[in-house]
Amino acid sequence: MRVFVLGLAMAAAGFAADVQFVAEAATAMVDGELVKQIQTAKSAASMLKKDPRDPWAASDNYDVNHGPFVAVKKSLIRLSRLCPGPCDLNLWMPLAGAPGKVQVVIRNRHEISQFWVWGALTQDMFPEMARVLASGERVTVRKRAGMVSVLTPVRDSLDEIVALVEVVLQEKVDPQENVQ
Amino acid sequence: MKLGVLALAAAAVCAGADLTVLPGHVRVDPFGQITAADRGAGVAPARSMVVESARAAHVSCRLVVTSAAAAAYTLSVSGGVEAELFREWFHFLPKSKAYIVDALIPVALPAAAQLPAADNKVAGQTAQSYWLDLWVPANARAGAEKVTVVLEAGGQKSAVTVEVRVLDARVPDKDAVVMDHNAYGTSWFGGQYPGLAKKPGFYLSDDFFGLIHAYHRVYYEHRGVFHQLGYGHGGKVGEEFAPRLEGAGKNRHVADWTYYDKHYGPLFDGSAFAKTRRGAQPIPYVYTPINPEWPASYLWWGEPGYEREFVNVVGEMEAHFRAKGWTKTKLELFFNHKKRYKAFEWDGDETRFPKDFERFREYQRLMKAAMPAGSPVEWVYRTDASWQMERQFKELAGVINFWVCGGGMFGWYLEEGLERKKQGDTVWIYGGTPPVARPSSHVTKELLETWMLGVDGFVRWLTVAPGADPWFQFQGGGETLVYPGERFGISGPLASVRLKLERNALEDLALLETYSASKGAAALRAEVARRYNGTEVKDWHAPRPRLADGDPSEWTNADIGEAMPKDARFDEKLDAGAWARVRAYVMELAKEGRR
Repeated sequence: MRVFVLGLAMAAAGFAADVQFVAEAATAMVDGELVKQIQTAKSAASMLKKDPRDPWAASDNYDVNHGPFVAVKKSLIRLSRLCPGPCDLNLWMPLAGAPGKVQVVIRNRHEISQFWVWGALTQDMFPEMARVLASGERVTVRKRAGMVSVLTPVRDSLDEIVALVEVVLQEKVDPQENVQ
Repeated sequence: MKLGVLALAAAAVCAGADLTVLPGHVRVDPFGQITAADRGAGVAPARSMVVESARAAHVSCRLVVTSAAAAAYTLSVSGGVEAELFREWFHFLPKSKAYIVDALIPVALPAAAQLPAADNKVAGQTAQSYWLDLWVPANARAGAEKVTVVLEAGGQKSAVTVEVRVLDARVPDKDAVVMDHNAYGTSWFGGQYPGLAKKPGFYLSDDFFGLIHAYHRVYYEHRGVFHQLGYGHGGKVGEEFAPRLEGAGKNRHVADWTYYDKHYGPLFDGSAFAKTRRGAQPIPYVYTPINPEWPASYLWWGEPGYEREFVNVVGEMEAHFRAKGWTKTKLELFFNHKKRYKAFEWDGDETRFPKDFERFREYQRLMKAAMPAGSPVEWVYRTDASWQMERQFKELAGVINFWVCGGGMFGWYLEEGLERKKQGDTVWIYGGTPPVARPSSHVTKELLETWMLGVDGFVRWLTVAPGADPWFQFQGGGETLVYPGERFGISGPLASVRLKLERNALEDLALLETYSASKGAAALRAEVARRYNGTEVKDWHAPRPRLADGDPSEWTNADIGEAMPKDARFDEKLDAGAWARVRAYVMELAKEGRR
């Protein structure tokens, strides 16, 4: 039994190391200048407004510029092919003008994340993400059973951290999950 | 005479137990009272009932067993009409603290039961209702057939009678409108069928595919269509919804059809419906797994590899369907993703921004590249439109040929929508499902609206989600018309009262449509509107508001809501008897036709 548990722990450690490698590559490859161009200015402004008549206004107005979105998404897909199993790279950005808020900006095929709440346009900043955005450290997160994420910073041409990538891998994939 | 009346009353009441009959559209609570929402129908329980029916149709009524004291009883049904009996479940609605029936549990005849029903756990229950379905086959003889239902309790018998007057008229097989029932994926099977799902290897097993087919079947048997989307907003496809692929770029191809064929083969050749009254027929429509991430990887979007992967696989799909003879089902190219869910940069569903239209055109180009000329395999290009509906009708005419339009807003652009239909496109509208607390007739409103507007179908956007505990903490059923049967030892869905009412209305409407040629479609519509809720045909669609002249990408939901006319005749004033009045009209026409 102990041998089995040790084996699992070793496998999990190897898993995390693989994800760590993909995260390092993500920091190197994802272009922070492009990332900043993804959301349209009008959409970004709409996210800061509260419409008492329409709680869905920000979602309905959510919009992106096709070119930067596609370019960054392609980088994320390409990087995901370095993972040892099915994984997603999710792009997260702090919400400009709303301290303490974060939004996922690009998700991918398996729709897995340890942070995203399905359908949420914005979320409160997670401490792990705040740490990455402030320090540039890579942070490994194991909040949900069977999942490991590495949060890694994304920098622009001024070497400012403007976003982060969540490289997330699920140890056991549920084929029916997120098919909806 | 007095003695005769006394004897009659005594005959229906035995050992304190009583049996009465009501029309199907009038529900009762577990204490024998007519449900508040249905009292507007002005109907009282009776000892007998006379109903008229065309052939190839169902006649339904509600039987109510009441007993002030606990009682064991049996119910038996006899007569010259095929009968099915269902016990009605009393769902507890925590918001109103009321009980209301909806789920229908099949019971074998004769039915033996107890009052109170132990499993329903209603404190002080004194009444149990049953839904009785009577089937009048296409070859039934015109004339009267008597059905007798006998209650036996405490060694005494009592009876009610239902006289079915069978008319010459026959309900056609083809419906006047398509009622479509939507669902997403299969992950919900785990929650609704925990016993089945915990069996090792359940997913992709014969039981699993059998369950999928059972959902198609329950809707098919109720003259409906069932849609089940097989991919997520990020493009992940379920392995039961798509063939397995291998390779990349020029080498991408279908590696294995096994699960796809197990899922869809019986639906495309109709064998999944072989034992139903409607017989084996292929499903009319199906979602395909095609999305921006399948079969081509979005990694290559806009590059030669994307087109190659797409064309390779879609071409193989066409060849596979052709070889199998699966040519009776319309295969839908349909995009369900929205940019707010952050996986793709454009809205496939309810497109909000015109700049996204270009993506629809590109997929049309790819489909044309994939499909050989003259293929018998029929593809349709579907979009679900709301904000930009008017502009999409104009700019995507010739690209989209299957329009599924937001129900209320469609009225603003009725002429444009009907023009698309005139040009050969299919036009449906979409919306929700009335919850159980509404008067029972409300479930017929959408199918009648569809017919009134002259479009082809209506999609109920979610119809398999009864909530976490529909049995004892029911949230109202606005997202379901069926219930999981596992609780009652049935590995499949249970129909509901609302689904039965929808089916019966579809049968009536199909028959009504046959009189269009002789009576004139406009005259039929006018009379039906008058009888249903005292409206005129023009009241059935919202007129174009000033808002529609502005830019839809600037609208809010509140703007749209304010631009919609408020008419209580479609809402709180729509009584439970509304469809019964339409049905009476249809029967009048049927009798006229005979003369």
